[in-house]
Amino acid sequence: MAESTVLVYGTNLAGYRAAYALAKIGYKTILLNRGAYVDQYRNQALAQLPLDFCWICGHMPQRLFIGLGAMEVHYNAQILEVNGEPGNFVVRFKKRDPYVNNFACTECSACVTACPIEVETPSGKRKAIYEIPYIGWENVYLIDDKNCTKCGKCEEVCPTKCLKVDRPVEEKEVKVGAIILATEYEEPLDEDLKKFGYGHPNVVKNSDLARRSLLTNFVRNSLIRPSDGKLAQKIAVILTPQYNPKEFESYNLSVSCVYRAYRIKEVYPEANVKMFFREFKGYGKGHYQWLEKALSKGVELARADDLEVIGKGENLVVKYSLYGKAYEEEFEMVILVTGQRAPSVMEELRKVLKVEPDEFGFCKVDPFTSGKTSVEGIFAVGELTGPKGNPEIVWEGYGVVSEVLKYLGEPNFAPQPPPPFREVRGEPPKVGVFICSCFGEFNNYIDLERLKSKVSEIPGVTHVDVVKGCCTPPTMQEVAQKIKESGVNRVVLAVCTILQKLLRFRRVVMMAGLNPLLSEFLRLREDVIRVHEDRDKMLEKAYALIYGGVEKVKRAVAYATPVGKIKTGVIVLGGGPAGLEVARLLAENKVPVFLVEKSKELGGLAKTLTRDLEGHNIRDHLAELIRTVEENERIKVFKGFELVEFTGTAGNYYALIENKESHEKVFLEAGAVVLAVGGVEFKPYGAYYYGEDDRVLTQRELEEAISKDAVKAKKVVMIQCVGSRNETRPYCSRVCCSHALKNALALVEKGVEVTILYRDLNTYGFKENYKKIAEESGIKFIRFGKDKYPQVISRDPLTVKVETTSGDELTLNADLLVLSVGIIPNPDNERLAKLLNFRLDEYGFFDSDANACPYEEAIKRIMKPFELSTKGIFAVGLAHSPRSYTEAILTAKDAVGKILTFIRKPQLPAPNAMYVSAVKEFKCTGCGMCVVVCPYYARSIDKGRKIATVTPYLCDSCGACLVACPSEAAYLRDARGEMMVPYIDALLM
Amino acid sequence: MNEAKEKFEPKLVGFLCYWCSYTAADLAGISRLKYPPNIRIIRVMCSSRVDPVFIIKALLDGADGVLVAGCKPGDCHYQKGNYYARRKVALTKKILESLGLEPGRVMLSWIPASEAPKFAEVVKEFTERVRELGPNPIKRSSFS
Repeated sequence: MAESTVLVYGTNLAGYRAAYALAKIGYKTILLNRGAYVDQYRNQALAQLPLDFCWICGHMPQRLFIGLGAMEVHYNAQILEVNGEPGNFVVRFKKRDPYVNNFACTECSACVTACPIEVETPSGKRKAIYEIPYIGWENVYLIDDKNCTKCGKCEEVCPTKCLKVDRPVEEKEVKVGAIILATEYEEPLDEDLKKFGYGHPNVVKNSDLARRSLLTNFVRNSLIRPSDGKLAQKIAVILTPQYNPKEFESYNLSVSCVYRAYRIKEVYPEANVKMFFREFKGYGKGHYQWLEKALSKGVELARADDLEVIGKGENLVVKYSLYGKAYEEEFEMVILVTGQRAPSVMEELRKVLKVEPDEFGFCKVDPFTSGKTSVEGIFAVGELTGPKGNPEIVWEGYGVVSEVLKYLGEPNFAPQPPPPFREVRGEPPKVGVFICSCFGEFNNYIDLERLKSKVSEIPGVTHVDVVKGCCTPPTMQEVAQKIKESGVNRVVLAVCTILQKLLRFRRVVMMAGLNPLLSEFLRLREDVIRVHEDRDKMLEKAYALIYGGVEKVKRAVAYATPVGKIKTGVIVLGGGPAGLEVARLLAENKVPVFLVEKSKELGGLAKTLTRDLEGHNIRDHLAELIRTVEENERIKVFKGFELVEFTGTAGNYYALIENKESHEKVFLEAGAVVLAVGGVEFKPYGAYYYGEDDRVLTQRELEEAISKDAVKAKKVVMIQCVGSRNETRPYCSRVCCSHALKNALALVEKGVEVTILYRDLNTYGFKENYKKIAEESGIKFIRFGKDKYPQVISRDPLTVKVETTSGDELTLNADLLVLSVGIIPNPDNERLAKLLNFRLDEYGFFDSDANACPYEEAIKRIMKPFELSTKGIFAVGLAHSPRSYTEAILTAKDAVGKILTFIRKPQLPAPNAMYVSAVKEFKCTGCGMCVVVCPYYARSIDKGRKIATVTPYLCDSCGACLVACPSEAAYLRDARGEMMVPYIDALLM
Repeated sequence: MNEAKEKFEPKLVGFLCYWCSYTAADLAGISRLKYPPNIRIIRVMCSSRVDPVFIIKALLDGADGVLVAGCKPGDCHYQKGNYYARRKVALTKKILESLGLEPGRVMLSWIPASEAPKFAEVVKEFTERVRELGPNPIKRSSFS
């Protein structure tokens, strides 16, 4: 019998995302955090904070999952020994519980008040025990071991006994089915940054700057120099991994650098900003435009070959070489955009788990898999396996789920169903008000007894009580018991932060047998006690807030949680590598698939590829993939078919596909749709005599010729960025530079002389290594400017003239001229977008909230429910954006992970349970306004009855439909207009 | 006369969106920032939930000022909700003007979740602004 729990070691985003997806599918996870608190070891997004974006609460929902029992977290943890085999691993680890058990902590801060030790820090005075306030997350109380005397006074005053100054190290043994290694991003050591002046007070890391700006936004004052408090006017922004062999460049850094420079100019237009980097490696959607934005705002750029930073008093001097000449420039402040170093944790992982590192010191993973290490059953995800971007990290999180499932037993987790609710229909509303005193703390600020007596006179209130607490297991039981005994059928809780404790308060109401829709929670602590000083005014305000709550719940109605049926099949449009991988993985997980391919053959654009830059055999992998799909009984393959009609909502789609030759029509039903329709190679007709001269080829055509051994040329010239990163197609196609290198290296082996003319060499991550190998093997690299593309000046012999960025004019003879062209969207995308009512981005590829790139901008668009936020339609592979074979496979695995979180369930409840919107059918006129405004596409017009309907599992109760509705037909079950208006009136007491 | 104005304590209603401004107020509480107690808040999931009827009712039934706070443009948790709120508040202000109400009594503010000091600032500023304007002339009656 295989175990069902999964062990996640480390706190990078991929690990969290995997734990979250596994919990949704029904599997428990044990998360081992090496740090003492939730983000002591920072993962990549937290370490870099590119685009100044945090939103960690959005994608690390650990508190919720711990509360539900799906996730067990241990702190100060380290794996000691692993035995067994995949499906039945026995893991022994050590851990030390944090001083304060967050789950039982009420944040009363009595411990801080009682602590006798005061400590001076750069940001002010604090006690030896102190709080790190996080928003929407758990507040963390930490003890400063250096200054703590272990007097134990804090432990004495803690009302819930969650604080213990003596926490012993413990060892634990667990049985798990699989292990996911997800250790965190490691920033370069301070000494490795010395050549950039780090150590000088006015040299700051971009990540520190971004973290500081989280609370205030990046403003002019963020540029105050640490040494003298002066506002820096002349600022350098340096992309250090391009000049430091000890650092690896994770993919977003080019954009982080450019973004920082742009933002400086935005908040401080008079500043003089200069960026230093050799190549702009921004290949994601919108990345190239960031560079253009910065340059047009007046930011300067020096593509220095090498540089060094030296302190000069309070200022700094950047010494750099550019096109062979040496320069020096003085700056008032230097911002370092730093990369990552090889994980130091690899040594421990190798010893204990036997996973092998690769040549760069990262964890080695098998190609075309999502994190498969050298040990079966152990997976490595995220920044542990190599430098990558934030989107890739999150995709790997979902991707590894689709691979891990086969090692696990039956699902072992399901959220507890709520206890049965008492039927209150027909009863007159009887409101019970329960005022929390936070273990007596609140009595120091406000007269709770007087408040209680005032509240008891509000009409409709039949019971008022002051309770000790409402958020720890014993106090929750107590309050639930009191509610039950009082016989009330509506509840108002005057408590504290509902952002962090919402589920606990709801649970209290449910334990008392009442539907939580019949309750309202008010923030007595954050809205009254902590922010005001006048006792009388505080009492008045508390009374008004409670009165408002009472009026609201008096009119509350209990509704059941709506559920919606969902279909099990998945339609995959497109039989290229991404589509095939989706089909294969879904079928492996018992989901029926309909694969619809336009042409007569499977394989897509990858059919003509042989190997990738790293030497992995694409041809064999693709052949195996096609064979697996064609032989699988769960996958129905339709070759020569196209989608012609489509209707439905997420979870319930109806499609009609037609064979273009035989006109056979097939009707399909599915719960989700995967868009794997691919892209097309840009054909540069008209440029460089392409199409007119046999000696001018694209890289794909060259690859075919090489594989057939048909290249007789002695001299080959390659031109990069033909038709890319210009006005018409302002984006980078990501694969062209690697493709050129791959072909160039193959040619050089045959003794061919190769020259590559380029604007930016986009060799990202480990591919950077291949550029070095290329230079060492004699391949020449010549750079030209954006507005000075090379020209063909003669066809006999074929001669190319190029003006380099250093001003030299070169003439090159060529036997073959190879053009590196980009990938353009499939011309059918517009028709499909209309048919599926799915957006296209500005370049013509499918836009996808859940998959958007750069991830930083996507976070703002990712909403709950994550997986269904794009209507259950997933764009993968080239349909989403240009990428390589391996990367297309990754997006496919990510889509499968997302789909598996909902597809096998026969019905889905609303993500917010019963708190969703609904329609008063007799008032609805079917005007469709609500359909237009809904950000989740949760509303649609029922064509038969001509009124609006809500798909419950898509609604997230924002309320936009209510306000849009001209007939008052839309309502939110917990915030109906009839409840809100008396609420407002009572508030104005 | 001035003394009477100084003693005037405006009654303010604030509609805060759960994901940004309500969170900012939460953080303000955690950080123990102080601001005037005149504001009484109502939580809505999104600023787009704020019906113009709420604003008008509040002003007719005893409020001297109404604050609607949402996420920064582009940051709305539900994508476009705050844009809908912006239009509704602008429309409401126009209608209220025709009723003879000073536009300064209705305020729309974008307060990101992490900016607790901004929340306190906005409340302070709004309270003082409405205090200057004096009691609301279209108040019909208070609820007592």
